[in-house]
Formats: sequence, structure tokens, C-alpha cells
Amino acid sequence: MKKYLFLCIATFTNLIIYGQVNRSIRPAGSEAPIINIKESEVFTLPNGITVILSENHKIPRVSFNLVLGSNQIIEGPKAGLGSLAGELLMSGTEKRTKDQLDQEIDFIGATLRSSSQSIFMQCLTKHAEKGLDLMSDVLLRPTFPEEEFERLKKRKESSILSSKSNPGSMASNAEARANFPSGHPYGEIETEATLKDITISDVKNYYRGLFTPKGSYLVIVGDVTKEQAKRWAEHYFGTWQGHDKINSKYNDAYFHNGNRVMFVAKPGAPQSVITVSFPMHIKAGDKDQLLLTTLNGIFGGGGFGARLTQNLREKRAYTYGCYSRANVTEEGSYYSISGNFRTEVTDSAVAQILFELDRIQKAEVTDEELQGIKALLAGNFSRSLERPMTIAQFALNIIKYNLPKDYYQTYLKRLDAISKADILAAAKNYLTATGCNIIVVGNPDILEKLRKFDTDGAIEKLDALGQEVKELKKANISKEVLIENYLNAVTGSTSLKKALKKIAKIESLKRETELTASQIPMPIVKTDYYQGEDKEAMVLTMSGNTMQKSVFDGVKGYEEDQRGKTPMNQETLAAKKKVAGIFPEVNFAKNNVNYQLLGIEVVNGKEAYVVKFSDGVKETFDYFDVATFYKIRSISSEEGNEQIFNFGDFKVVSGIVLPYTMSIDMGGMTLNGIVKNIEINSKIDASIFE
Amino acid sequence: MYIWSHGNILPKLFIITPMKKHIVAMTALLSVGSLWSQQKKIDYVEYDLPNGLHVILHEEHTVPIVAVSIMYHVGSKNEKSDRTGFAHFFEHLLFEGSSNIKRGEYAQIVEKNGGTLNANTSQDRTYYYEIMPSNQVELGLWLESERLLHARVDKTGIETQRQVVKEEKRQSVDNQPYASFLANMSSRVFKKHPYNWVPIGAMEHLDAAQEEDYVNFYRTFYVPSNAVLSIAGDINIEETKKMIEKYFGSIPKGQGINMYRDFENLSDEAFITKYGVAKTLFTSTNFLKPTEPAAIKALQKQLATSTIIPKPSVIEEPIKGQQVDTIYDNIQLPGIFMGYRFPAQNDLDYPAIEVLNTILSEGASSRMNKNIVEKKQLAVEAFSFGMKSEDPGLGVVATIASDKVDLKLLQEAMDEEIARIQNELVSPEELQKVINQYENTIVSSNSSVAGIAENLADNFMYRKSTALINKQLSAYLTITREDIQRVAKKYLTKDSRVVLIYLPKSSN
Repeated sequence: MKKYLFLCIATFTNLIIYGQVNRSIRPAGSEAPIINIKESEVFTLPNGITVILSENHKIPRVSFNLVLGSNQIIEGPKAGLGSLAGELLMSGTEKRTKDQLDQEIDFIGATLRSSSQSIFMQCLTKHAEKGLDLMSDVLLRPTFPEEEFERLKKRKESSILSSKSNPGSMASNAEARANFPSGHPYGEIETEATLKDITISDVKNYYRGLFTPKGSYLVIVGDVTKEQAKRWAEHYFGTWQGHDKINSKYNDAYFHNGNRVMFVAKPGAPQSVITVSFPMHIKAGDKDQLLLTTLNGIFGGGGFGARLTQNLREKRAYTYGCYSRANVTEEGSYYSISGNFRTEVTDSAVAQILFELDRIQKAEVTDEELQGIKALLAGNFSRSLERPMTIAQFALNIIKYNLPKDYYQTYLKRLDAISKADILAAAKNYLTATGCNIIVVGNPDILEKLRKFDTDGAIEKLDALGQEVKELKKANISKEVLIENYLNAVTGSTSLKKALKKIAKIESLKRETELTASQIPMPIVKTDYYQGEDKEAMVLTMSGNTMQKSVFDGVKGYEEDQRGKTPMNQETLAAKKKVAGIFPEVNFAKNNVNYQLLGIEVVNGKEAYVVKFSDGVKETFDYFDVATFYKIRSISSEEGNEQIFNFGDFKVVSGIVLPYTMSIDMGGMTLNGIVKNIEINSKIDASIFE
Repeated sequence: MYIWSHGNILPKLFIITPMKKHIVAMTALLSVGSLWSQQKKIDYVEYDLPNGLHVILHEEHTVPIVAVSIMYHVGSKNEKSDRTGFAHFFEHLLFEGSSNIKRGEYAQIVEKNGGTLNANTSQDRTYYYEIMPSNQVELGLWLESERLLHARVDKTGIETQRQVVKEEKRQSVDNQPYASFLANMSSRVFKKHPYNWVPIGAMEHLDAAQEEDYVNFYRTFYVPSNAVLSIAGDINIEETKKMIEKYFGSIPKGQGINMYRDFENLSDEAFITKYGVAKTLFTSTNFLKPTEPAAIKALQKQLATSTIIPKPSVIEEPIKGQQVDTIYDNIQLPGIFMGYRFPAQNDLDYPAIEVLNTILSEGASSRMNKNIVEKKQLAVEAFSFGMKSEDPGLGVVATIASDKVDLKLLQEAMDEEIARIQNELVSPEELQKVINQYENTIVSSNSSVAGIAENLADNFMYRKSTALINKQLSAYLTITREDIQRVAKKYLTKDSRVVLIYLPKSSN
């Protein structure tokens, strides 16, 4: 019997070696393997940490990821705070200096990383206790040393600088600003100015506010038993105590009708980065999420058969790759299509992307496309199970997004049930071809070719950090001539000599302005006083009570509010002296003020000359109407805080032209001012300047 | 790299990849990828087919998936100096289809059957793989055998892929800060050896090449005796062997494979002229069994003629003196790149060189990071790595400067670190630290079946012994502190190196 069997196999093998194979027959698969998803263990610690354990003993390695329950905070003028604080966690603890920490982590070959929202440690199982000791030390006892804070800030400055030459980060900065322009953490971009604003106490407050065990998760993955995991979790994280987690509220993403083109110049770039992006109304855990994933797979996210790849790479060879992504989170969701294209085909590529967006909303996808993407997603799903981290992530998602317990067990079944009609409905619901942000990073030569895609024809230009670029036309006069014309205009003179004479005759000026804003219940009265060449004072009152006062008598000065009086420091006094008076331009030359005429910009529909000058403390941009030479706007910024003054309704008072309306824009609040009274050369009480 | 990457494909083509949010991070090929500790043994079976194809099989049933891969022993170093970029170009071209797979269908077949695929090219080899559900292992084998036997190498495919490769170069080199450093460095460190150029090659060469050049490249390098078939995952070894016999055993050996390709592509007249027998004496399904004696004789002759694989044999002279050059690039922060000549990866000195590099720049506690980045704050990033190539290759020590830093001071600081490791022994703790770091890396490199398949093929192809996959750490355990000092002196030579200073274009 045995012998017979052996012969049989030998003949068979022989036949194959020398025998035929019909290669035109594609082999069919055998029976599909059964997908098993191992359950994760979930338990909680008394201090409020939810522990998720995914056991896997394939390799002797284990990882611990502590994820905070608090969401991202709005950082505003301190954008970058969270990432700085997260990184700084690793800069030393009460037990170890940074050098000791680094040394001990590397010595066991471990990975230990901290971020704004988490701390992660991975190492060989035999080093786990040492690794956990380091991890909990970083989490519980960080010291935030000053010199490391300064060093990291400097390093981040260099990072910001270097990101300005990276086309990918230029595009994603613009995209963030386009979709989430305000009041949302996704739209906050770290700049040199925001970085400068962050202090060490901000960092400590951040840590105290967000790092709390309540609501946080400890995700344990790898070569560890449940009993051991429990012991370790309790021993290393069980003593941690803290308040409730923080739940910040955000503004919505910016939804708009009509396509906007946003251009970021990268002179000499051999390729353009194109990103077409728009926000979506969907949140993580939504019942449509798998449907959206499937739709995105067919459109541009799902491999070789995806429409974007087939059209832009395979058919037209415009690009090495163009892909789309549905970014769906609890905080805000957006769709993003992106690729690198050679410069000459930039506009054609945009047209094709918009064409594909339009097409997928107009007609059902084919059976072949739908079957293809289902097979691909099922394959991705099965392959992802090789990573034990995936299993833990499933468990975390079920808890975080309140999904049905069998959400992932039924994944393949739900995928299989999706129809062509479902896909079309989702495309109509979530995608758009007429409410897009079309972001292009590339050579400025191609700009004009993109205008046709912008619904109102006005392309927005952004810099590398996603900030608006102010476009200036070249001025046709010199800065000296401009100042001369301005002084002539406000004094009604025909020569500078006459103008200066008239200004010299102004002994004093008192002006009362009533300021109103929707956020303030009653008007604020602002009174400005000027006397002689350099005395000035400003008083803010509300219902007759003085709220704020600022006084400069030509030599010294102070600021006063409800908290008390603060004398002006030397720096401020020097600055005040440089630009004192109603018309400080008179003394620009004498006081050695460095000023520049930048060019002509359009302000509220009027062309205006832009003059930039600095008094040493703050930088000011003044705008002079090209037709009348009146000063219609003044923007000053000091340490990242910007104030915009708009002037209007010009009237003649005692031969001098002065504005009777004034609005003040200060970071989110606008005060509308109407001038109630101006007195020139009336007597001003000397006590005002005391 | 061929298609999109959902995953973690280490870009072997260029060693630069933007990883962190802001700073351009560079990942070296150094230690990752081909090491393994004693802790969990990888079992495997290996054998040669009569046509010379080397087969390695690893069976494990943790997840119902399988990685099917072929590593071809052809990289940019096998190219002619006026036809650079060919090896990488083939990596693209060989997804175009085959006699039995329509154009553009190759990847779709994989995806529609729940798999994924990709490929990459280095100076020394080209690597293709599919990761499939385990019930589709036969499909994976069929696809790879089609690619090996009779891929579509024609005008249409060549034209499309030329454009795609040009875009790839623009995207990953021309438009990426510092990415040109590898080409600039290689051309200065190597004068004769083909490591003079980088895998992406020169676009003019791809343009100038004729269809015939491409066909010849395929006939020379894409033969079974120049390839390793490595399979890892949820398979049954005996059944898989049978499938391999079916799809790869049937591929003719020696020049027989090219005779078969001619049988498919040449006209009757051309075939007779070339082989002296008529095409009609052969069939495609049973090519190896013609019945006419004349046909048998002609076939035997081709089967007996082995394919010669051209390999570079030049020996480079040492770099003469210190050569300093300035490169102006679209960057914001200057960089200093120092290039040295390192030995081949099989050289006995190589493990000590790897340890040396790790002590200098791997991890937060490494010397260059501690001293140059953190203490002196002269740089934002510091690197040192070797290309780990088959022939003596490139070694690099590099930094990206902090903003507004005197580059002279930065270079002095780099030289100071090199001098210190040359003049003083490293501490025993530093050495132990590196061993611990490697142990972690080695264990992690085999966490996936795809990683195992590649590691097995790597060990066979480069180190001539698959068994070394289970002894990867041992090479490092015997290294002494004196060894590190010795290799530092021998290879990080100040009087024989290339220094490239990268400056922002605006300062030009």
C-alpha cells in the first residue's frame, strides 16, 4: 500500500515538471479562509482609566499607549502649545534629568514618545517593567525645565522655517485654514509669532488641565497575560489622581457654495501640489462611515482601480499618484484629494479632478467597480488583523464612538450589503464639485490659468503657513512725496511749508468718541487729549466711570486700569517720544523713524498707499487714500496682537481735516466709533497729564 | 516604489523620506530589515528548481494571509552608464501585464482578490511582492510566474511608464528639500563603480533608450537563476511546492526561457533564422516536450546555455583628499553631508560600522543628538548611516543646521564627534545599549509575514545563507570597543572624503 502511494506521487510530480501548464487559465482561489477577530479584554481602574488589552504572543514585545480622554483645546494665538507641551513631557522628571531619561530608554532599546494627547511605550517583554517605570515617571512627574523649553522652542522655530520649503506641508497648512478658518483646532497653524507667545506657565497649565486619569484609556498590546497586564496597570498608573476630563467645544468647519482657488507660490517648483478639499457633515462612528469609505475607495482611495488613479496616472500620466481621503473624526470631518502634478498640466489636472467629482455624483458606479472595491476593502480588513494593534483599536473605537459590540464582527457582512444606489446617495450627500477649496502650491507662472476655476474669479494667495498674502501694487510716488501730500491734504495747504505752519499752530486737541459693540451693554466714551508737541492722554469711561487711562507727558508716562497704575518702561517711553502728536509724520525725519512705502493695496474698495513704520515697540501699517491722501486705516501689532483702526466721514475742523467715524477691530471684537466732539486749541486741564 | 502606499514601505530607492511634520527626517537602511535574534526561531524550507530559481518557504498560521515575493538580483549597479535608471524602470514596467494578463490588469487582479502588492528597487536588487488571503496563494504564484516568464515589454507600456517615472522623480527628488544629496554624493564618491548613480537614474537615458534596449535588459536579468522566490504565511508547504512546480518548474532553464519568449514574439521566419527549426514544432502549453528530434536538439542547446548576469567588477581608488562642494537647493536650513567609502555589507568590519553609526546617531541618547543637536544646538537633525550595499559603498555623516548657525562651527562639531570616537574607546554601556537596541529591531522586523518573506530572501541573496535569519544578533555580540575605534579610524577618514554643503538657493 505504502509503496503504491509513493509511486503515485512520483508520477504526478514528474508529470508537472515536464508536463503541461495552460497559463492562460487564471487559478481560482480555494475556499475563503474564516476571519477570526480575537476579542480584546476591557477593564477599568478605580481612578477612571479604561484599560484595553489585546494579547498576542507572536513576538516577545509589548506596548502601552496612554490616550487622554480630553479633546484638543483651542490654542488661538498660542497655536503649537499642545505639541510643545507634549514633547516637553520627555524633558525631565522629578527622578531623572533628560539625559538620564534618554539614556535609560535607549539602553533597553525601547520606544517612548509623548504627544499632546498621549504617551506611548514599546519594548521587549523582558524589559517591560523598566519601560513602564520610565513611562509612568514621564506621565506623573514631569518638571518642564526652563532651558529645555527654550531649546525646544528654538528647534521648533527651525522646523517652521524648514516646513516653508516643503510643498506638502505648504499645501496642508492652506487646506487646514480653508476648511477650519476659526475656532477649530484643525485650522490652527503654528507660526513664529504663535510660538513666541507660548510661555512655560502655559505649558504647565496645559499639562495640569488635560492630563488626568478620568476618561483616559490605556491600550496594552502584545506579549502579556491578562493577570500581568492588570498588575502592571494598577502598579504604574493606579495611583494617578485627577479631575474630570476637559471637553472643548469648537466652531463648525467652513461650508461654502462656489469653488475657491487658493494659491501658494513656490517659485521654480518643477511640480504643483494640488489639493481639492471640502468639509463634510459626518462624525466618527456614524452609520454611513463604511459607506463613505467604500465610495472613497472607488473614487480615489482604493488602490489601482480607483478613478483618480485610472484617469490621472494611467490614462494621462499627469502624476505619479493622486489619491483621495475621507478624514472622519468626532471633532470635524473633511474630504481631501491630493497629488503632485507636473507644472504644465496643473490646470488640466484640476479640471479632471472636478470632472470626476461631478461624475460620481451624477451616475451610479459600475458593478465591476463596486465588486472590486468590496474585495479590496475585505482584503485590507483581513490583512489589518495581522497587527495586534488593530484589534485594540477596534475595542477603543467601540467604546469611544459607542458602536455596537459586534461592529467589527459584522464588518464584512455590512460591506457586502452596500449597493450602487447607496454609493450614489452617499456621493450626493457628502461630496461636492461646486463647494471646493482648490489649493495649488506651485510656480507663480501658472496662477492665471487657475482663475477659471474660482467662482468669483478672485484667487486667494496664501503663504507657506496658510496666512493670507497681501498683494501690493507698486506705488507711483516716493514716500517723502506721499507724506507731503498727506500733510497738505489734511491742512488744506498747497505746500509742505504752509502745512507745517498750520500744524504748528495747533496748541491742543480734545476729541470725544463714542464706541459701541454688540458684546458691550452700553457705549464706551474714549477721550483723546493732545497738547504741545508731545503730550498726550487717552481716557476710557463707561457710564461716567473711568475704566482705563494712558498718559504720556513728553518725558514719562503710565497706564492705568482697575488693577492699578503701571509706569511705562524705558522702551515704551522711547517709542512714544518717536511718534508723539496728532501728526507724528511731521517728525519722522527728525526722530529718525524708519518708514517704508510698501505699495498700493485695495482697502474697502479704495486704493490706498501702504506705509510701514516701527516705533521700536510696535509695528504700524498706515493706509492713505490714493485719491484724497487721507489716512483711512491704521493697523498696529505688538507681540502678535493686532489692532485695526478704520477711519471715515472726514470733516474740516478749524481748518484741519479729521475723521468723524472710527472702527476698532481687535481680534474678534469690533468697536464702532462715532466722534461726538472735537475741540482745537481750547484749554486742557493740566491735571489730565498728571 | 510602484503604487500608492497604504502601508509602511521603507522607501529603498531614496533614503530620504519626509516623516515628521516639519523637519525632513532621513531614515537610513542600516540595521532595519535583515536581522533576527535567537528568541523566536523562523522555520523554513529551501531548495532550488532545476532552472535555478531558489525557493524559500515559511509556514505559519497566525493569520490567514500569505506573502508571495520574488527578489531579482538586479539593481542600478547592473546598469550601463549610458542607460541608468533601467532597473527601477523595470519595476514599473513589469506591472504592465503579460502574455496572459491584459495591460493594467495585473494590480487589479490582486486587489479584486483581496490582496495588495508593491515593489521597490535598490542599487543591488529589485523586489516584488503580493500579500494575499491564504486561499489565493496559487493566484500569487501564477502572477509572479507570468511576470518572470513573459511580461509585456512593449512601446505602449514603455511610453506610459516613462512619464510616470519622470513624475516620481520630480515628486521624490526634485521637489523635496535635500533629496538631491544622494545623487550629488554618489557621483563624487564613486568615479568608476556604478554606485556613481542612484536607482532613479537619468531621465535622458530613459528617453534615449529603444524598445530593444528594454527587451535585452529583460532577457538578461529576468531569468529564474537570478531570482529568489520567498513565501511566508498561512500555507501548506507540500501543496505549495506542487504549485511552484506547476508555474515555475515549467519555466525553461538557461537560454531556454529566451527561446520560449522568442517562440511567442518572433515571426516564423525570424525564429527559423535564429534557431534553425520551425516554430510550429513547439506548443506553448508543452514547450519543453517537442517531439521532432531537430526541435529537441535545438531546445537542448538553449537549455544548456546558461545566462551570464553582468556584474560590476571595477575596484574604486580611495577618494583623493577632502573634496568640498557647495550645492544650492530649495531649502531653508543649510545642511552638511559628509560622504565616505564603506566596505561591502558582507565585510567582517560591517557589523562594527553599524554599531559605530548607532552610537553616533540612533536615539535621543546618541552622541551626535546629545552634543550637536541638544547641547550645542547647532543642528536640528543629525544622521550617520551606511548604504549597506553588496559592493563597497557609501557611508554618510550628516546634519541639518539650526537657523542662523555658523556652518564652520557645525562642521567642527561633527568632526569633533568623529575624532572622539576615533581617539577614545566607547563605554561598555554604550556598546551594551546598541546590542539591546538591535535585539528590539530584530524581533520587530519579523512581526509580519511580509517582513519575514523579505528577511529570508535578503539573507539568502546578500549573505549567501538563509540560516543567518536566526543568528542575526550573534554578529554583533562579538564586537569589542576596540573594533569600533578601529573601524572609526579606518573608514571615517577626514583626508579621504566628500563634503557637501547645502545652502538655500536665495543665498546664491
